Amino acid sequence: MALYESIIILDSLLTPEEINKIADRVKELIEGDQGKIVKIDKWGKRRLAYEIQKKQYGFYISFVFDGKNSTPIVLENEYNYNDKILRYLIYRFDKNKLKDWERQKELGDKKPPKDEDEIPVAEEIPVIDEIKESDIESEVEDEK
Amino acid sequence: MKNKMFDKKTLKPRKKRVCRFCSSGDIYIDFKDEKRLIRFLTEQGKIIPRRTSGNCARHQRQLARSIKRARLLALIPYVADIAR
Repeated sequence: MALYESIIILDSLLTPEEINKIADRVKELIEGDQGKIVKIDKWGKRRLAYEIQKKQYGFYISFVFDGKNSTPIVLENEYNYNDKILRYLIYRFDKNKLKDWERQKELGDKKPPKDEDEIPVAEEIPVIDEIKESDIESEVEDEK
Repeated sequence: MKNKMFDKKTLKPRKKRVCRFCSSGDIYIDFKDEKRLIRFLTEQGKIIPRRTSGNCARHQRQLARSIKRARLLALIPYVADIAR
């Protein structure tokens, strides 16, 4: 048994129910192969760096699981069969990642406030854009 | 030997570059934080060679692997064209 992480990119146009359905299906497959799910992380909708199947946005989900070496093959078969999955990556934790993983576990209690700090930063950006737009409009009015 | 120790034009002794990952003391280069990886890419999206970035061999190998994983997941472009 070893730790693996599998990240999948789904079509961003799917409804939350459909996304949950696929996530449950992956969970089932992992547990059906005597594996254990350690962590499920939904990154949410993100802009892709390049188009995949003519889509600009994707919904990212990551599964960290403890499984046998046959589990990745089972998952790959499912991913190739399901055409709502645009891309996938499955990798086994190497020794450096394992060290980092254990260290993050120890620091786990201190991490959540960092995530909260990130949210206001994202909110600030649109506000600045609005100001810029209004400035431009006012300038245009002045010219008139 | 001379080329290694002195700058060709100014003839001043060269500074020895230190690997950034070694000095920062990080164990693992994560492919999920693309902002950090972008620093080791050219404008076109190519991986900057070790002789330019100054990374040590071990970290350059790890960096290359994480860049390739990030490319697959569309976090970083394979090719970024410069608009002319």
